[in-house]
Amino acid sequence: MEALFNSTKTNPRGIPEAPFVERVEDFLKDPNDFDLCFNKFQERLSKYKFMQESKLVTVRQLKQKIPDIENTLNMCRALEKKKEIGSNMETNYQLNETLYTKAEIDTSEDLKVGLWLGADVMLEYPVDEAITLLESKLSDAKQNLEVNQEDVEFLRENITTMEVNCARLYNWDVEKRQQLKHAQQGTENLKI
Amino acid sequence: MDLLPEGKKNTVQVLYEDQQKINEFSKLIMRKDVINQELAHYKQEKGYLDDVALEIELIDEDEQIQYRIGEAFVFMKQSEVVDQLEKDAEVLDQKIEELEDADSEIDSRTSELKTVLYAKFGDNINLER
Repeated sequence: MEALFNSTKTNPRGIPEAPFVERVEDFLKDPNDFDLCFNKFQERLSKYKFMQESKLVTVRQLKQKIPDIENTLNMCRALEKKKEIGSNMETNYQLNETLYTKAEIDTSEDLKVGLWLGADVMLEYPVDEAITLLESKLSDAKQNLEVNQEDVEFLRENITTMEVNCARLYNWDVEKRQQLKHAQQGTENLKI
Repeated sequence: MDLLPEGKKNTVQVLYEDQQKINEFSKLIMRKDVINQELAHYKQEKGYLDDVALEIELIDEDEQIQYRIGEAFVFMKQSEVVDQLEKDAEVLDQKIEELEDADSEIDSRTSELKTVLYAKFGDNINLER
């Protein structure tokens, strides 16, 4: 039974693949081992579920982060476009939750933007460098999202395997118990 | 978990290949849910764009309009905004098309899997929602 859980197959991120039980009776020789074995399966199942939850949180965060990066990138591109045309940019921007005000951005000479890098740091970049940086951040985030979605799907597959395994183990046990009951009744009804 | 009716037995052997098919099915159903969510979002966005494309025709070409980028509004000429909106709509259309393609691909694959799995397991498996 131990061998079943020591499978070396993993996905690229090292998540182990769920064991598959083809025939319950082949590896569960002694019906008394059932509880122990069933608990092991349940434990593995809940581990997968936990992992899936945490991956889903990451996916959600990335799906929020990507539009943020895209917006910043769009703004930088718009600024650069204005710079190329040689006109200033006039905006109506949010000063406070409920307050918007107008501003004219001078694009005539070395146009710089401040990028929020996180960890309480904001760094000033020339707009073209900012665009390159944001583009690489965007593609990183997209790739990261893909990897995480892959993991979620892989986990989902393994959860399904484990659920089927558990259901079959359980059915097997029920059947065994019924057989035992029948046998017992049989002996009781025996007339000697 | 439902109990099997009295006297009926679940005797079909689940093989590794069957398990793989069941897994694929369950994975595809999950993927479909994600796609449908995104699709609904993009279609709503597209609806807004279509509305604004109509409205903007009523404004004079040289007038300044506030076009939203992120959280700020940028003043742009009507003609510029029209161009920009057209580009936005193109990008959206492409995304919607991609998602719809993926969705119909999933549909055909899942119905294939359904046929195979029902043929083998009959009433012992439930693949509906």
